[in-house]
Amino acid sequence: MYEKDGEEIFVIDGHVHLWDARQENIIHEGGEQFLQCFYDYHTGFTPEEEQWDIDTYRHYGADKMTEDLFGNAAADMAVFQPTYLDDFYDEGFNTTEQNAELAEEYPERFVLNGSFDPRDGEEGLRYLEHLKEEYDIPGVKLYTAEWRGDSKGWRLDSDDAFEFLEKCAELGIENINAHKGPTIRPLNRDAFDVKDVDDAASSFPELNFIVNHVGLPRLDDFCWIAAQEPNVYGGLAVASAMSTHRERKFGEIMGELLFWLGEDRILFGSDYALWNPDWLVDQVMNAELTDEQKDEYGVELDVDTMKKIMGENAAELYDIDIEAKKRQFRDDDISERFDLADHYGGDAGAAAD
Amino acid sequence: MSGSSADPTGDAGGDPRGDSTGEHAGDADGVAAVRERLDRVEDPELARSIVELDYIDAIEVDGDSVEVRFTLPTAWCSPAFAWMMATDARDEVEALDRVREARIELCDHMHGEEITAGVNARDSFGETFPDADGDVAAVRAAIADKARVSRQREAVRTLLDAGADPEQVVSLVRADLTIAGDEAHVDLDGFSLVVDAAPIADYLDRVTTSGHVTEPADTLFLTPEGDPIPADELDVVQKRSRLATVNMGGQGAVCDALHRARHGPDGPDGSGPKYVDPSDGDRSTYDGDEFTSTWTLATEE
Repeated sequence: MYEKDGEEIFVIDGHVHLWDARQENIIHEGGEQFLQCFYDYHTGFTPEEEQWDIDTYRHYGADKMTEDLFGNAAADMAVFQPTYLDDFYDEGFNTTEQNAELAEEYPERFVLNGSFDPRDGEEGLRYLEHLKEEYDIPGVKLYTAEWRGDSKGWRLDSDDAFEFLEKCAELGIENINAHKGPTIRPLNRDAFDVKDVDDAASSFPELNFIVNHVGLPRLDDFCWIAAQEPNVYGGLAVASAMSTHRERKFGEIMGELLFWLGEDRILFGSDYALWNPDWLVDQVMNAELTDEQKDEYGVELDVDTMKKIMGENAAELYDIDIEAKKRQFRDDDISERFDLADHYGGDAGAAAD
Repeated sequence: MSGSSADPTGDAGGDPRGDSTGEHAGDADGVAAVRERLDRVEDPELARSIVELDYIDAIEVDGDSVEVRFTLPTAWCSPAFAWMMATDARDEVEALDRVREARIELCDHMHGEEITAGVNARDSFGETFPDADGDVAAVRAAIADKARVSRQREAVRTLLDAGADPEQVVSLVRADLTIAGDEAHVDLDGFSLVVDAAPIADYLDRVTTSGHVTEPADTLFLTPEGDPIPADELDVVQKRSRLATVNMGGQGAVCDALHRARHGPDGPDGSGPKYVDPSDGDRSTYDGDEFTSTWTLATEE
C-alpha cells in the first residue's frame, strides 16, 4: 500500500499485461511494429534510470512481473487486460490463457479479464462462454483496432458487437474495457475513435464501459460522452505516464476528468509493461494541480480523491472488499515472498504502531 | 540542387549534417520564400505551423523546381493527416510564381512511400489508399471543427471579459460585428462594445471557412454541434471548448514524447540535429525477413 500524508492507499493497478513479443512469436511485420511502438511509449515516458532494454521488454515473464507489481508494494492488486493480436503473433501477444497462468498462481492478487472479437461470430460467442466458465471473468478487454484478415477493426456500436454485449450481460460479464486511445503502429487510428462507446453505453446500462486511455487524443469526445452516460468510466493508462515529464499536462487532463466525470469514475492503470507501477504510482501520487488549474476546474487531487482513483473505484467495479483483502494479504504468498506483512497491519506493522 | 537524393542528410558536400535543416545555401532567397509559404501549412491536429513545429528537414531549390522533405513526430501519425500536410505543402510552394513544380517527400513514416508517390503523382487520397475509410475532406472537416470550437472560446471570453452578458453573447449575429483595424466593434442592443480584434477575427476566419457563419443574419456563436446556444448553457459550451483545447495539447505531448523517444532528446524543440543515423537510431527497422526500414525511400529519378 502506498502511504501519503499518513493515510494508507490501497492500489489496484487497473491495466496490466503479460505479453510475449519474442521474435519467434512474431508472424507478421505488424507484430514487430506494434512492439517497437510500445517501446517508444515506454522510453518516451519513463525516467531514464527506470528504462528497460528491448530484450527484457519483449518478454519479461511472470516472475519479473510479480516483483515489479508487488515487490515494493507499489500495487496491491492488478487487473489483467488481454490483447490477442492473433494476426501478428503466433501464440497471441497477451491472451487470457497466457495471463491466467500467473493469475491462477496468485488469484487473490489478480483480476483476470477475458476478451471477445465480434468478427468471430458464433465461435466467438462460444469462446466467451468458455472464458466465463473456465475463469469466471468479470470483464473483457476489447481491441477495436485489431486486424483480422482484410478487416482493420470493428465498432462497438455494430450489430455484431451488440450480440456479444448481450451475451456479456447474460453471463454477468459486467466490465467492458475498451482501448480507446493513442494510435499504435501499425493499427488504424480511426479504429480507436471513441464515439462508438456512446451508443453501446446507453444501450447496455447494466454494463460498465471503461474507456482505457481516456480516449486520448479524443479526450473531448470521451468526456462529453462520459458526462452524459453514467456507466462510462475513464482508465488512466498512458495519461498517468504524463505525470513523469508532463506534469502540467497531466494536471490539465485530471482537471478535465474530475470536472466531467467526477472522482468516482476514474481508474488508475500503469499499462504494465509499458510503464512500471514501482515508480509510476509514486509519480502519480505526488502529482499536483497548479493553483491556476485548481481555480479553473474547481477540483482537487487530495488524498480522498486519490484513494478512489488508485483503488476504491476499481474495487467497486470488480466487487473487491479492500478491508478483507488487507487481512488476507498479511500472510499471502506475495507478502511472504516480498516481506510485505507490515503493509497490511501484520506483525511488523503492529509493532510499529 | 545536385539531384534528388533519398539520403536524409543531403548531399551538398562537406559536413552532411553541418546544417540541421539540411538546406542548401545556393539559393538562400528561394529557400526563404519556400519556407515562408510552408509556414502556412498546419499540422491539422495541433493547428500549428509545420515550420514552427520543426517538421521540415530540407528545402532544395533548383531553378524552378523545389524539393521539400519533412518528417512527422511519429512514423504512425495518421496517414490522412500526413497526406493533408504533404498536399498542402505542395500547393503552398507551387503558389509561388517562380516555382513550376514542387516535389514533396515524407520521410520515415509507415506510409511514407505511398504518400510521397501519391502526392507527387497528383493522385487522390482514395487512389493512394483504396482501403481507407472515409475521405480526407471528412477528416479535414472534423479537425477544422475542433479548431472552430477552440477559437470560439477565446472570442466569447473576450466579449464576456469586456462586460457583455451571456444573453447578449448568444444572441449576436454576424451583422452585429465589425472589424476595424485592431479593434472589433460589437453591437449590443444599440450600444457598441470595442474589444481586441485578434481573437474575434481569428474565430470569424474559421467559421467563415467552415461555412457555419456566412450570412449577416447567421448566429455568431454555436455549440460544437453547430446549434444556437441557450444563454444558460454558454458556460458549459465554454467548458467544452476548453476541453477541445486541452485535447489538442494532450496529443501534442504524446507526439513530442514519441518523437524524442525516436530521435533523441534534442528533437523537436532542441537545437541538435533532427536526424539520427538510421544504422544506430532507427528502432523501426526490423531485421527479420519481411520488414525493411522505413528510412530507405525510393527516389523517382
